[in-house]
Amino acid sequence: MAYFIQVLIDAVALGSLYALVALAIGLVFGVMKLINFAQADYLTVGAYSLVIPTAAATPSMMFGGLPWALMIFCVVLSITVLALITERVAFRPLRNTDPTTLLISSFAVSYFLQSLIIMFHGGRPKSVSIGAALTRPIDILGLRVGGVQFLTMTVALLLLIALVLFLKRTSIGIQLRAAAEDFSMARLLGVAANRVIAIAFAISGILGGVISLLFVIQTGTLDIRMGIMPTVYAFFATVIGGIGSLPGAVLGGYIVGILSVFLQAYLPEEMRPFRDAGVFTIVILILLVRPQGLIVTSAAKERV
Amino acid sequence: MRIFERLFPVLALVIPLAGVVWTIDQFGSASVERVATEALIRLVFAIGLYIFAGNSGIVSFGHMTFCAIAAYATAWQTCCAMLKPITMSGLPAFIRDNTFPLLPAALTSIALAGVVAFTSGLILMRLSSLSASISTLALMFILNVIYSNWTTVTMGSSTIVGLPVYVTIWIALGCAVLVIVIAYLYQVSRWGLMLRAAREDEVAAQASGTSLYWSRLIAFTLSGFVAGLAGVLFAHFMGTVSIANFFLNHTFLIVAMLVIGGMQSLAGAVVGVTFISVVIELFRRAEVGFSVGSTQISIPAGSQELILAGIMLLILIFRKAGIMGGKELRWPWSVRDDGTVVGVGQVRLAHSADSHR
Amino acid sequence: MAKSPKQKLQAKNVHVVFGGIKALTGVTLTLNAGDILGLIGPNGAGKTTLVNVLSGFQKPKPGTIELDGRDVSDLSPRKMAQAGIGRSFQAARLFRKLTVLENLTVAGLGIGLSRKAATSQARDILDWIGYRHGHDRQCDSLPYSDERRISIARALALQPSFTLLDEPASGMNEQECELLMDTITGIPKKFGCGVMLIEHNMQVIMGVCHRIHVLDGGRSLAEGSPEEVRNDPNVLRAYLGDRASRKNAVI
Repeated sequence: MAYFIQVLIDAVALGSLYALVALAIGLVFGVMKLINFAQADYLTVGAYSLVIPTAAATPSMMFGGLPWALMIFCVVLSITVLALITERVAFRPLRNTDPTTLLISSFAVSYFLQSLIIMFHGGRPKSVSIGAALTRPIDILGLRVGGVQFLTMTVALLLLIALVLFLKRTSIGIQLRAAAEDFSMARLLGVAANRVIAIAFAISGILGGVISLLFVIQTGTLDIRMGIMPTVYAFFATVIGGIGSLPGAVLGGYIVGILSVFLQAYLPEEMRPFRDAGVFTIVILILLVRPQGLIVTSAAKERV
Repeated sequence: MRIFERLFPVLALVIPLAGVVWTIDQFGSASVERVATEALIRLVFAIGLYIFAGNSGIVSFGHMTFCAIAAYATAWQTCCAMLKPITMSGLPAFIRDNTFPLLPAALTSIALAGVVAFTSGLILMRLSSLSASISTLALMFILNVIYSNWTTVTMGSSTIVGLPVYVTIWIALGCAVLVIVIAYLYQVSRWGLMLRAAREDEVAAQASGTSLYWSRLIAFTLSGFVAGLAGVLFAHFMGTVSIANFFLNHTFLIVAMLVIGGMQSLAGAVVGVTFISVVIELFRRAEVGFSVGSTQISIPAGSQELILAGIMLLILIFRKAGIMGGKELRWPWSVRDDGTVVGVGQVRLAHSADSHR
Repeated sequence: MAKSPKQKLQAKNVHVVFGGIKALTGVTLTLNAGDILGLIGPNGAGKTTLVNVLSGFQKPKPGTIELDGRDVSDLSPRKMAQAGIGRSFQAARLFRKLTVLENLTVAGLGIGLSRKAATSQARDILDWIGYRHGHDRQCDSLPYSDERRISIARALALQPSFTLLDEPASGMNEQECELLMDTITGIPKKFGCGVMLIEHNMQVIMGVCHRIHVLDGGRSLAEGSPEEVRNDPNVLRAYLGDRASRKNAVI
């Protein structure tokens, strides 16, 4: 039972994390029909911004050496700026093209950023330690829970709640949701395109920054590929949730996160390395039953 | 003459390719020949991807899956008779304990890739085009996870070495010509035409009696076979097989080649692969460094990737349809739509008035 | 390919609701082979929705579509096309990167013709509608009125028993309208099929239609000969009443 509850906490933690990334991807998709591969590199760059660019395997700290509040601020700010720059330079000129072209262009942006990291930091994984104090297990109601899991769950849930409140309660959030539902209609109603798009990117940058920190605290390593898995998971989350639906993205995020943790926990030992393959296969099987995803939006259907 | 005119889009690609290969074979160094051979194999793969992505308008990020499946399949059959029972002990006994001739091994491997493409296509082609794109990525991740961890059969993330190396520049050229012809015949066939119609407008295509599902599935399967051929060629050109070669980086490279040349025409695929292969080779050499007088000049490692991504973005922004603009090379002196054509049509009209009923 | 032409296309008590908005409420109409039926009504009356229902793009809920008495409500758009219902689109929706000839060939292939038969049929139809030059032109560079004509031709290439034309005259000048009217009048004679015509241009409607069905607010308002409809007080009210300022309100 205790094991099950620990697994459940892990599942909620990871599910919330994927839900956040999926929401970032869903928001950007909503406002400009772009599925943003570069979200992976927002995460990766965020993590690498902790250290000074060298080829060394245990580099000295850059933002990672700052007091934690300042560190979070600097990482989040730089990734937000990065997200806005990619929007301005690469995606804005392509704003009115088809989703496939946009998808390809984000693939290019992602590759560009990844090559940039390799150029400055070298291609090998590095180890970095921040928040070592947080890795101690803590007792809650008689259960020993990993400190990192608890932190991840708390932060991810809080961010998710904050984001949902932002989208539901604030005027700009409502504009964003309206734009995600039907962009041309929202524009007719006076929603400023540049502004909502910039805000969607800023949110994906902020989430990218925070999530990168959570990942580094968890793993203690930097790797040029570290952003890819969470982002790919989030892609599938948005697809099974129903492309274009924000609640669908969150739902999908929890589904893939929970699947992943439960497969990890309950698969026989020798099968565990195949966990991701299992999750993705289940994703494809869900699509077999519901090709348009769990929550079908009007955006997914082409008007005749 | 009409035959020549109709085959011109193919001949205009094949003849210059053959000319270049002949020149390299005669005058080029061994290293140039290697580079050119690799480029030709990439061309085979790129055309495989083009058959699906170019005609359907759905970009696939997962075609390396089929490439890898065929490469491993041929490795299982042909490599290292001595070591195989130890390093790949999990293989079925008749494969583990036997070495198969090269050609049957190649054909069965390609067939396996095609079958996997067909089977996965049965599911993926039901999805909307954007979901299908992303799900092809799922396919590649599934394969990557399985092959990286299925240690007793694939040697995990280690490299399988000791495959017979038989792919020369001429074999690579032969295969490239073959797939160019296949791709051309496909795209002018009824299924190719219907798929291109679906690419242009899904709704109107359905209203014109086209099945999105079947037309896409046929292209996906055919392109799986061709990607499989590329996998076999890669394996027997390098002599080694490693799962890391069949992942995102290589996918990016080929997609970039297609996008830059122009995703929507065969000529675009050929031009893109050629152009980018040359650019990459130049930058690779520049990264190694060359000397001007007594000073050694080199550009930082990683520049070629940056340049490649940069070119790709510029193309997407300023010339979305790629260098070739989605057009095939056409016989420049053809006469179209002259009075005679109309005359023929009118004669036909007379007898078709009742054939319509 | 031997296809038996169908005699009757019926919509029975068709309802369609979009997110709470009633697009169609209990619409019933019959289209006979050889007939030209006009479908008119103010914007938002549900005309295009009805065409979508009849061509399989929108499922009636509730309601049925019958083709010679067979219930075809559940057929996909593709099956509908193959069963003998061709349609054009308000926005033409040509295959833009394909040539004019290929646009029609695709429809021929769609009903199972051989490549050769589909191509020669495509030529015949293009000749018949008077599009004799530029068969090999790519459709992304066509003048507007040609786009509309090709769109009609493509629908005809399905060898349909019924052709549904959604505002074929929009954006055409007077002379082009005249030509279009000739074409539409000729369709039943040449292809033996029934035509349903949505059009705002009353000159075209009154000039070619045998019967006219009027929709308003998703309901059938009237059906009859052009003369009857022209004098129907309900129709006049729908068009002239509170919408008297509409440009296209002149009957």
